[in-house]
Amino acid sequence: MANVSELMNGWGFGKQTAIGTPNVTATIWRHTNLNTKPWAKVPVNEDDRAEIGKGHEFPTQLFKSHYNMPAYEISKYASSEFLAWLMAFSLGNVVLSGTGPYTYIIVPALGATNPTGLELPYFSFVQQIRPGGSAILDEILVGCAIKGWKLSIKNSPGRASATCSVECVTTGQYTAPSGITLPAAITPHEFNGGMVTALTFNGINYLAGGSAKQFLSMEASWENNFRPGFFPGSGTQDGYQIQGRFEWGDRVFAVQFVVRVQAGSTEYANLINQTTGTATFTMTRDANNSLSMVVQKMGFAVVELGNTDGIVTLQITGVQLYDATNGLLTVTVVTPQNGIAQ
Amino acid sequence: MMVFLESPQGDEIKEVEATAESLAPLLSKGWRQVPAPAKHEAVVPAPKEGT
Repeated sequence: MANVSELMNGWGFGKQTAIGTPNVTATIWRHTNLNTKPWAKVPVNEDDRAEIGKGHEFPTQLFKSHYNMPAYEISKYASSEFLAWLMAFSLGNVVLSGTGPYTYIIVPALGATNPTGLELPYFSFVQQIRPGGSAILDEILVGCAIKGWKLSIKNSPGRASATCSVECVTTGQYTAPSGITLPAAITPHEFNGGMVTALTFNGINYLAGGSAKQFLSMEASWENNFRPGFFPGSGTQDGYQIQGRFEWGDRVFAVQFVVRVQAGSTEYANLINQTTGTATFTMTRDANNSLSMVVQKMGFAVVELGNTDGIVTLQITGVQLYDATNGLLTVTVVTPQNGIAQ
Repeated sequence: MMVFLESPQGDEIKEVEATAESLAPLLSKGWRQVPAPAKHEAVVPAPKEGT
């Protein structure tokens, strides 16, 4: 027996060289996780109940089918290390520069030009409870990818004001015991809502001037909508079929935010006039740790009058348009961590 | 800080300043980072006559 607080998670900050080749120890880091569940493995059996010729309708035999691996959420307070990782692995086109701190400039990869087609970088995920001779849990899941993420900035104090959750998928391939000695958990350089240093959406600056005290919260999310990866030759684990690829489908980038209404609020005018402009969101902890997201062309799809904790507010749903020159989204992360997605 | 990018067709390499403003137009068209190309061998000056 073990308490779940003993569960240790580590995963590749570097990318696997191929979907079926696990990360080596040197490219795996260990993090804490606000999600208290382990990543379950779900092998599925099928039976012969639908087949006639048995003399009755009841099943008589079990057959191995496939590993139906559920998506797994890594949930953390926003930090420069974790944001660089999730953006690099979920968007795909990464430029790394610097000698410490390191700067990652990341945009969504294009299927037409991405060297791995519609596939993003893969990483391995390690989960351990008392690893060693009598481990309760010690395995490495191979061929994981980021299905989507959500970044939340809230009107509250502390680390909970800037959180992110990442939904991961995996092929079903694993090795147990993992053979990995996890390093000490890193101490990430975390952000909070007070570290927002740029917040301009569609021409409205929510940090300075007349709109400086309007902003309440925002949520940005990304979804890769992976297609199922079972195909002839996709592979097996323990006799069960596993997935051999994760190819993105119609990707969705969503941004919603809530602002307080005041006289002269221009959000309605931007909606009705179909005004578009860049949206810039920056958090700066110090010279070595920052995140900047630039939505290259944002319009407003919905501006809905409402009430948040007794204050009259507008909930705004952005439409993120693809700009002919600069694309959809550019993310810049400065962090002390080298080698992310390399 | 400069980085090297390769064109989507793989037929051109550019040295580009590593800023979001400089990189976004190229990355969004499929350019990707590549290692710096190998430098030419340093030219060793010929020994002077009589030495």
